[in-house]
Amino acid sequence: MSEILKTLRSNDLALGLIGAVAAVGVWEICARTGVVDPTLFPSPSLAISAAAQRLTAETLADNLMWSLFRVFSGFILGALAGAAIGIAAGWYRGFGTIVRPLIELLRPIPPLAWIPLAIIWFGLGEPSKLFIIFLGAFFPVVTAAYQGMRSIDPVLLRAAQTLGLDGLPLLLWVAVPATAPDLATGVRIGWGLSFGVLVAAELIAADRGLGYMIINERNTGGSVGVIIVGILLIGALNLLTDAAIGAAIKRWVGRWHGA
Amino acid sequence: MLDHDNLARCALRRSEAPVAKRTTSPFLQFIAINSVGKTFAARTGSSISVLDCVDLTIAENEFVSFVGRSGCGKTTLLNIIAGLEDATQGQITIAGRPVTGPGQGQGVVFQQHALFPWLTAVDNVAFGFRKSGLNKTDRRQKAMDLLTLVGLEAAASKYPREMSGGMQQRVSIARALALDPQILLMDEPFGALDELTRIELQHELLRIWEAQRKTVVFVTHSINEALMLSDRIVLLAPNPGRIKRVFDVDLPRPRSRTEPRFNALYEEIWDELST
Repeated sequence: MSEILKTLRSNDLALGLIGAVAAVGVWEICARTGVVDPTLFPSPSLAISAAAQRLTAETLADNLMWSLFRVFSGFILGALAGAAIGIAAGWYRGFGTIVRPLIELLRPIPPLAWIPLAIIWFGLGEPSKLFIIFLGAFFPVVTAAYQGMRSIDPVLLRAAQTLGLDGLPLLLWVAVPATAPDLATGVRIGWGLSFGVLVAAELIAADRGLGYMIINERNTGGSVGVIIVGILLIGALNLLTDAAIGAAIKRWVGRWHGA
Repeated sequence: MLDHDNLARCALRRSEAPVAKRTTSPFLQFIAINSVGKTFAARTGSSISVLDCVDLTIAENEFVSFVGRSGCGKTTLLNIIAGLEDATQGQITIAGRPVTGPGQGQGVVFQQHALFPWLTAVDNVAFGFRKSGLNKTDRRQKAMDLLTLVGLEAAASKYPREMSGGMQQRVSIARALALDPQILLMDEPFGALDELTRIELQHELLRIWEAQRKTVVFVTHSINEALMLSDRIVLLAPNPGRIKRVFDVDLPRPRSRTEPRFNALYEEIWDELST
């Protein structure tokens, strides 16, 4: 049975790959035969060769590392703050009553709407981008952590109380692990949002990073090929990191939660 | 907390409708439930009485079951003994000490889904030793001993979702025994199990009870189950929750459902329950 499932699944993957390769093939043919204007929409081979010509491995790596560094640091700060505040708001009723309305009021504001303010407050340097990415991670994680805390099965807390736990140990050893599956969902959503926000912030105000790389190519009248390779690279990076986080979560809560 | 009006009211109630002989011997009063009442404030401003004037003493090593319809307050009474809920009137003492909270020698087994899903069987039991001051290796060793006691040493590294309901309840019993409590409080622990597993676990529980000499308070919906297990059966009635009658189960163990005396007691309890 599991053998059949395995073959089916790998076949699914194979079929998906065939679809992707076919799409690239159609694109190549359309560009070469002039169905689409190659100056606006160059063929994949042309785009890659243009990118290879105009970008050195060094600049590409530099831009990539900067983007990754930004999104990781902003995301980790935002997720940590979100988890801490969400858990505290769910555990300490008074604290929750104070901070929840504020969070609910700020949450609907798209992180990108903060960009002008972030530039005024923090200038064009790294802190302004860190702030925007922080917001991208913070709100999904704080909401998930709070919801997770509120939906803990009370019998788990009671069981721990009968074993002599209360106060901080009860929070750390029972409430926090019980919230882990909800927290994991929030972390994954937060990562996706952080990544989207990163590229937007780099498009608007940055002097390096993948977002900057593609908008700079446009502003200096460079090659459409570089832009296409750039956005595909951004997509691939998001895909890979999301898969890595998904795998880490599965390792973390998968076996006991069945996610 | 001594509420004299409550005590006087309950004394009057007792003299009007005695439910059981009162004992004054301290050995027979290991758990003493004195005029315990519990009221909730309802949304309309009135109050709902869940328990009223409950008087009961339980001897050391005794096996007592609470039986009654839904809403008779049997689980609430168990939770008050466990220290998980407060009585609004009266008081409960264990070995003379008033119950002020959990962890005073009461081990509790809940109906189901009370195991920590993120811990394996052995770690769930080892969790019970957190307050014992033992290091991690000793905690795990002692947890393995308890898993062996409930016959689950082979499933030590399974997570709760990988275990059957019967296995989960065995682990729950092992965890409740961790701190070597004098009292084992059980809230319909076998209620969600299939008939065969339930009977198996009843035998297992009697074996553990006899080997470890615990005082057991057992809440159940099943008259049969109460008759198979208990020294005494306390029948509670609803609106407000109160003790209706206490039955002595004067049958030698192991008991058989086919004995005439078993069936006579069953009929007697059933009659009292349905009137």
